[in-house]
Amino acid sequence: MALPRQLRALPSWTIPLVLAVLLVAAPWLGISSGTRRLLLLTCILALLSSGLNLSFGYTGELALGQAAMYATGAYLTGYLAMHWINDLALLVLVAAAAALLVGLVSGVPGLRLGGWSLAMTSFFLVLLVPQLLDLLEHYTGGAVGMVGIPRPRLLGAELSSLDMYVVVAVITVCWFAVMRNLITSRHGVAFQVLRESPILASSLGISVYRMKLTAYAIGAIPAGIAGALFAYVDKYLAPHSFGFTLAVTVLAASILGGAKSIYGPFVGALVMQYGPLRSTEFEQYTQIVYGVFLILAGTLVANGLAGLANRAVARLATRWRPTPDAAAAGEAAPVGPTPDGPALPPLTGARLAVTDVRKRFGGLQALGGVTLTAVPGQITALIGPNGSGKTTLLNVICGYYRIDSGSIHLGDAEITGRSTHDVARAGVARTFQTPLFPEHITVREAVAAGAYSPRHVGMPAAILRLPRYRRAAAADRAEVDDVLRLVGAARLADVEAASLPLGTRRLLEVARALVARPKVLLLDEVASGLDEDEIERLAGLIRAIRAAGTTVILVEHNFRLVLDLADAIHVLAQGELIASGTPNEIENHPRVLSEYLGVRQEVHP
Amino acid sequence: MTPIWSGLSIGAVYALIAIGYNVVFIAYTTFNFAHAQLMMFAIFVTYWGLVVAKLPVVLIFAIAAVGIGLIALLEEFVAIRPVKGAHAHLVTTLGMATLLDGTTRLIWGDQVLKVPAVGSDATFTLLGGRISVPEVVLIVSVVAIAVAMIVYSRRSLTGLALLAMAEDRDAALLRGINVKRLALGAFVFTGVLAGLTGPLVGPKTFAVSTLAAALALKGFVALAIGGFGSLPGALLGGFLVGLVESLTGRWLGSQLPTIMVFVVLLLILMLKPTGLFGTTRERMV
Repeated sequence: MALPRQLRALPSWTIPLVLAVLLVAAPWLGISSGTRRLLLLTCILALLSSGLNLSFGYTGELALGQAAMYATGAYLTGYLAMHWINDLALLVLVAAAAALLVGLVSGVPGLRLGGWSLAMTSFFLVLLVPQLLDLLEHYTGGAVGMVGIPRPRLLGAELSSLDMYVVVAVITVCWFAVMRNLITSRHGVAFQVLRESPILASSLGISVYRMKLTAYAIGAIPAGIAGALFAYVDKYLAPHSFGFTLAVTVLAASILGGAKSIYGPFVGALVMQYGPLRSTEFEQYTQIVYGVFLILAGTLVANGLAGLANRAVARLATRWRPTPDAAAAGEAAPVGPTPDGPALPPLTGARLAVTDVRKRFGGLQALGGVTLTAVPGQITALIGPNGSGKTTLLNVICGYYRIDSGSIHLGDAEITGRSTHDVARAGVARTFQTPLFPEHITVREAVAAGAYSPRHVGMPAAILRLPRYRRAAAADRAEVDDVLRLVGAARLADVEAASLPLGTRRLLEVARALVARPKVLLLDEVASGLDEDEIERLAGLIRAIRAAGTTVILVEHNFRLVLDLADAIHVLAQGELIASGTPNEIENHPRVLSEYLGVRQEVHP
Repeated sequence: MTPIWSGLSIGAVYALIAIGYNVVFIAYTTFNFAHAQLMMFAIFVTYWGLVVAKLPVVLIFAIAAVGIGLIALLEEFVAIRPVKGAHAHLVTTLGMATLLDGTTRLIWGDQVLKVPAVGSDATFTLLGGRISVPEVVLIVSVVAIAVAMIVYSRRSLTGLALLAMAEDRDAALLRGINVKRLALGAFVFTGVLAGLTGPLVGPKTFAVSTLAAALALKGFVALAIGGFGSLPGALLGGFLVGLVESLTGRWLGSQLPTIMVFVVLLLILMLKPTGLFGTTRERMV
């Protein structure tokens, strides 16, 4: 009973650290030279698969280009070691840089179209490798291969094969530490948001294209390094080592270990090296086995061995810790702020001006020249029948749709036609009609994602855990705690956000938007589907946001709630404004009564 | 002129692959990595029927159509149906592609096998270039198939139902369209089409176990040029890729065609990522 609890209390890096030390020290633990070579090849394959995980597992873009980057690193290292300078440290850096370049060049066109383009362009790239090697025969040795790569030297000293093993193991350990720091930082959460919902990611100020390109390009680095190491390990390079089979092997190792896991690729690579790759009789059946494996893994196994392990740990944890967990507690007590109104720290609002905006979808006029202004510290409500263009207007403001004519200003800056992530960075936050929460992400992470771009901390800082990163992470944590307390969901912080009931998710969406400290907050039917208690709480929260100074735009069907909350109301019908005014004026406006509320009016001539 | 005829006839093959991708795209909004493998299998079946078993031509067409249709059916059940989402399908259909590649290798080995023409294989001069009868038949049939499919998709109820399904699966379902059966039908149709056209393609490409990978790529480039989901685009894209390849090979040397096609792909993706006939759908929130 006590031991497992103590084990779980240890920091998450303890077990990987122990394994890393074992890996590096393996030669002194009495392993055979055959085993040592297998471990060496495992490290190289693990580097490749780990890079693939970054783009495939974490941002959801299948890419097969790892083999091409690997070839780049290997051939470049081989050539330079023979003809220029033989220094392992330098050549590893050169190989990493070259692979990064290949990643960027092939990633830019591949990611432009989205979907399967990256998979296909990178697949193409891999099949081009033998042809390119042939074309550059003078440098690469063409089909014959590159021979005569010297023994590696490091800072002038020649490395024995034992030294080389240690170098490879240490580099692999370092890379996995980099991966671990990157994925457990807020960038890791941003990747997953991106994978699950590009729409949400862009509304949080994340550029989908740039982020995917970054993940793909960073994933190229370990492939280049692996290539450099491989060149020194085998001292002979031939085109067949870098073909399509390698690409599929890397993919198989990644899926086997768990595409969305940090250490999974190492386990996957280990299994591949010990199993299929070792036997030569297998060669004839390689493709058949890989094919069957990919189909099975793709259909049956969710997130590979890492997924299985995580599930097992979770199951054991619940057995050992029978106290009701937060999710159960959350159902018992209502979630939400107290109605008498929480206080928020002051926020700076900005005036949002929409001028004569028109938008057509084919033959349908969704917005026919809408002009309205929302000012800081006020709640501006937008009402109208279904299909009147309310959500279209929000989407136009956020930059999801391009408008046909008109302009949109935020403060003094024009945001017309800017991309969604740009608008979000300018200070517009929103909630969605159907709350968007990626799966497998805790409430804390989901809400913290709101701070990702407004208070951006670069990847290098996150990887090296610089003081800047630590400060930002601590500040995030405190702020998320505050906001969660404010919406009354503090005790749900570690529960999976997507599993919570609708009312709670709506409040959490508001919380996520608040963490971004928006100048303008767009609330899209935030009260629909809530019960009366929840609506009360929500109203309190919205009033508190107004008091803090933000510009609030509220799209809502609940007429009572709107009259209760709003400072100004605009009524849309068939894409045009039919009335604007204070709640009092709107409540008695004849066209509103007839067109929106459906109340029949006697006509007095 | 000869390289142009040769480019058009190999382009017709790429167009066929792109059409196969398109039908699956319309039916499932997903990408079938293994479609080129279906075509390759049909070519090997043709080789087997003509050279090894010496069967009558009609029977070969029938065996190829039924056999490849069955493989497509199998693929739908093991690789498409159990998983959701285009990226999951990429992995499973890539698995299917690898499996078919491996099976082809195991049965027929790595040699390049010459596939005889099903009819006459005479060559003649047309507009100053040499072209063979199988090449003419190939080009004409592919254009005819594409035109027939375009007309069918716009005129027939089934075609319209398919387009409706591509637009919005749920809405089509609510309109009483049996989405699953229709999609399965479309998927099997791509297999049957590959089977039927295999005997026409074989004399042009020969039968070799690495053929599918090459066809898959060029077919994809044809698709990217024409635009996802566009049948006229696939036809035009296929011919364009064929011409680029053939003319590069003629004027710039035999090592460059594939690299050139890759350059074309990059250019298309950079300049007009939706392809010539593709449409951007506005994102919905």
